[in-house]
Amino acid sequence: MTLFSLFTNTHSDLFSDRKVIIEKHWHELIPRRVVDFFNDQVSRAMADGEDVTREDVLPIISSPKYQLINVYRDGLTYLSPVTKEVDPMMVFEFLHRIPDIMQEYFGQVSETVIKENFVTVYQLLEEMMDDGFPLTTEPNALKEIVPAPNILNKVITTMGATTSVSTRKMPHGMSNLPWRKAGVKYTSNEIFFDIVEEIDAIVDSTGKAVSCEAHGAIQTNSRLSGMPDLTLSFVNPRLVDDCSFHQSVRFNKWESDKVLSFVPPDGHFRLMSYRVNLPSQQNLPIQVKPSINIGANGAKFDITVSLRNTDGKPVENTVLTLPLHKSTTTLTAHCNVGQYMFDPVGKVLRWDIGKIVPRERAPVLSGSFGFGSSSEAAGNAGYNIGVEFLINSHSLSGLKVDVLKLFNESYKPYKGVRTMTKAGRYQVRA
Amino acid sequence: MSDAKFFQRGKIQELRLELNSDKKDRNYTRKKQTLKKIVANMTMGNDMSSLHPDVIACMSIPVLEVKKMVYLFLINYAKAKPEMAYEAIQTFRRDVEDPNPLIRALAIRTMGYIHVDKVTSCLIQPLRHCMRDQDPYVRKTAAVCVAKLFMQDRHLVENAGFIDLLREMLVDSNPSVVANAVAALTEISERSDHIQLQLNMSIASKLVTALNECSEWGQTYILESLMFVVPQEPGDAEMLAERIAPRLQHANSAVVLTAVKVIVYLMNYMSREEDILSMCKKLSPPLVTLLSSGPEVQYVGLRNILLVIQKHPEILKNDIKIFFCKYNDPIYVKMAKLEIMFRLASEHNVEQVLSELKEYATEVDVDFVRKAVRSIGRLAVKIESTAQRCVEALLELIQTKVNYVVQESIVVIKDIFRKYPNQYESIIGVLCENLDNLDEPEAKAAMIWIIGQYADRIENSDELLDDFLYTFLEETVEVQLALLTATVKLFIKRPTAGQDLVPKVLKWATEEVDNPDLRDRGYIYWRLLSTDVAAAKAVVLSEKPHISTETDNMDPVLLEELLLHIASLSAIYHKAPTTFIPHCKPRFLIPSPALRRQNYNVGRTLQHQDSYSSLHNSSSAQFHQSQSNVRSSQSDGDDGNGGLDEFVSSPKQPQHQRLSYHEQSFEQVAEASIGNQEYYEQKINAENPYRTDTGAVGGSQANKGGGVDLMSFDL
Repeated sequence: MTLFSLFTNTHSDLFSDRKVIIEKHWHELIPRRVVDFFNDQVSRAMADGEDVTREDVLPIISSPKYQLINVYRDGLTYLSPVTKEVDPMMVFEFLHRIPDIMQEYFGQVSETVIKENFVTVYQLLEEMMDDGFPLTTEPNALKEIVPAPNILNKVITTMGATTSVSTRKMPHGMSNLPWRKAGVKYTSNEIFFDIVEEIDAIVDSTGKAVSCEAHGAIQTNSRLSGMPDLTLSFVNPRLVDDCSFHQSVRFNKWESDKVLSFVPPDGHFRLMSYRVNLPSQQNLPIQVKPSINIGANGAKFDITVSLRNTDGKPVENTVLTLPLHKSTTTLTAHCNVGQYMFDPVGKVLRWDIGKIVPRERAPVLSGSFGFGSSSEAAGNAGYNIGVEFLINSHSLSGLKVDVLKLFNESYKPYKGVRTMTKAGRYQVRA
Repeated sequence: MSDAKFFQRGKIQELRLELNSDKKDRNYTRKKQTLKKIVANMTMGNDMSSLHPDVIACMSIPVLEVKKMVYLFLINYAKAKPEMAYEAIQTFRRDVEDPNPLIRALAIRTMGYIHVDKVTSCLIQPLRHCMRDQDPYVRKTAAVCVAKLFMQDRHLVENAGFIDLLREMLVDSNPSVVANAVAALTEISERSDHIQLQLNMSIASKLVTALNECSEWGQTYILESLMFVVPQEPGDAEMLAERIAPRLQHANSAVVLTAVKVIVYLMNYMSREEDILSMCKKLSPPLVTLLSSGPEVQYVGLRNILLVIQKHPEILKNDIKIFFCKYNDPIYVKMAKLEIMFRLASEHNVEQVLSELKEYATEVDVDFVRKAVRSIGRLAVKIESTAQRCVEALLELIQTKVNYVVQESIVVIKDIFRKYPNQYESIIGVLCENLDNLDEPEAKAAMIWIIGQYADRIENSDELLDDFLYTFLEETVEVQLALLTATVKLFIKRPTAGQDLVPKVLKWATEEVDNPDLRDRGYIYWRLLSTDVAAAKAVVLSEKPHISTETDNMDPVLLEELLLHIASLSAIYHKAPTTFIPHCKPRFLIPSPALRRQNYNVGRTLQHQDSYSSLHNSSSAQFHQSQSNVRSSQSDGDDGNGGLDEFVSSPKQPQHQRLSYHEQSFEQVAEASIGNQEYYEQKINAENPYRTDTGAVGGSQANKGGGVDLMSFDL
């Protein structure tokens, strides 16, 4: 259940320059040697095969004395060595919270950002965990204990006018609603809901979905004063199932009335996430038809993209990526829409189509590629096309917000709802 | 203002001067800057400890930020320089009385980190106060501090009444305090030799109420503590499971998985099948949701799912599609998914599974491809109706001539031949085309086995074997054994074809090889063949025992243990925690009148016990005695299952027993019952070690009113 130490180190494929940026121990000192051991294991795993990337390294590595639990995000590794039986899910959740919170505080997460704000980072880590027990991880509550480095604070520190502790009122997450701070005030009250649905799918070369699922999330940005008590209802709540909620949502209300009743935290948060089971391929908004004919020395291919169920909306930011076999050396192609690029080092063909408007000509990419040396493995390898796209003002599930009611406060907030469908882990087998 | 500049290596002398500068320092801005530099240097690993008198002097500055940095400095160096900590004690004492609760909490938290005896003894009194502080933030910090203190000095915590204070906190009005108290108690219980947390229904029910209001981490602590509830009636288990089921829809995956663990545990105490089924239905969707998270969470989810579905196959049985692999899944996720796909494969979905596996066999990652090929073979063995199609798929893969695919295919085809004798010999011809490419011992041995087994159907089986025999002395033992047996089979089936080869092989096996297994087998064959050919035939060509994929199932006793550790490391490694975590307390299902009988296959369980005892050689004589007891009760045929239950629930180390005590003085507060060593030793002597059932019933009844709900038992 407990995590005792944390090392954050950089990771770079090009240089073997992996240094520790943050080192924090909540219990006893764990020697830095353990980081060397870890880096060793990572290098070894990655030397295993040419296709093994940093992402393929196991998130839990056993060492003689420690179990090395690690998360790799944005080029940084968050490493926590543990010696006893722990709940790794909890450690992962916690490790992910660290960059989440840093993002919230500093706007981005990188080695430079951490170094620029390291005193704040250490203060945060100190508050986020005590002796291995996660303590305060709600951004709202944390911001009351550790002030975010905003312009005002900077001015105050440069002017030398500091707020003394004793004048500050009792804060920190011990209110009845641990996720909301007291005394929030805005001149214009507004709340925005983004309903984002992502499609995870495996589609075979005939266009049939082998497996297909959609996950939705309602990302919320609340800028409301005081203690607003909200009720959000949907036109068709039964379209979603298997929901999980932000802790502010009253679960019983959902069970009985299918409405979301909650007092929101201040700022950005994920109100709810859910799953939409798609009955058939008819619901897929886009169809990618690849054909790849492989010979001994290379292959001819063409890929056609067409729109299907988009309610007449255009599909935007469409990008197809086709990883080719490692022995591929040459590629020539032609496309009628967008532009393509072949990365001869990573052996990836990337076709940037951009916007596809319904009833306009279907984008086609055709061409051929050649293997440097003819090999049986290359001839038999399977091909997969990764698909990215996004459709604005469209929700795959059809989920629609009905009304948002506000209680406990008298102002009339501005309410905004946007929907968006995009590709998640979406791939087509060729 | 950027902090990066503080990373410049500051010279100690300069820093000291800055810290002690007489210049006007309004609001301590200058001091703060200097301290930041010192802390920055410290984190870079530069030794700043010689600055300690100057830093400690800053402790009296009433600015929280300054205090935090000084405390950070102290924690870092106190172990190396205990005298530094002594100097700070006075200020500590002042700070724990500060009117600002933040400062009180900070002081108590910092003191807990400083593992210096003198500081620890100064901590006792203030800590007691803080546990009853009027501010909940201080109380919750103090609760964790007790767990910290326990790591340093167990006796101190046990003897200074801290456990009772923690127990009082379980009914605190603030849910965060309750959660931290429960976390501290659980922690202490897991670490202590003679303190064992046990919760009765009434306190469990209070904790579940607090669940709704506390933070996500608090929810995990509370859920985890529910593993220490032993339901006495099936209704209790159902009620509790029903009440925590909403946690399955939490956004935090740790909360979800811990809730899964508790529900799976409680299902052991439910009586009605329909309740269990309805719980199973509730467990599927949250497990599916875990798979839409990041790869680490997916991985943990997958490893746990693999355990859960072995115990409750109804869970996820219609969700196989979500386990289909994406080409860009990390390799460890793919491997874990593949195992689950194999388990969930059934008559209904085998078509899809097979076509997926064929797809995977064309991917680039060698390990994954091998596992996919192997799974095709296992699928054929598992589901008879699909065997034909699996064999065809394997033949197609062999045609690709990709070396490792061919070898892996041959290894599994051997299993298919064993499972379905004389059905697929027609493909032997295709296999034989690839003989020259075999270079892995396992594939070679498999091919040789096939040749020997079908020596009479393969026209040139003698030539094929002769080719292999050419390198007999260089082969691995595995291949040598296969060659020896295959040659003998050939000789028995076709004496004329084998008569030249057999003497050669027998001579090599018995005279030129050092391996005793090989030599012994050689001698046995030699003697059999030279004394009684009919007997040799009966032995060598005897009917082979059936193989099935049952052998892939995890040992039920281990599975049961791992299910109590869902969401933990052992559930990921699929190893009992006692085998890789030092000083780990084993968990087991505690008998109660509500506990369901486990339907284990007796033979398998006994077999497991042997390996168990060898795993735990250090365990006491009592343990072995318990084994023999189980055996005899089974062989007598009287209540064999009862014996097994006891075995399953037997702790491996005698000091971990639970104990019962009936002190009614705890009536008001002692809902979490914890005992001490002296008491429990007396108790054990008084109890018949195998009377657990009656003991439990009696205990629970006797204690119902008192809120103390305990029982005792021994191995």
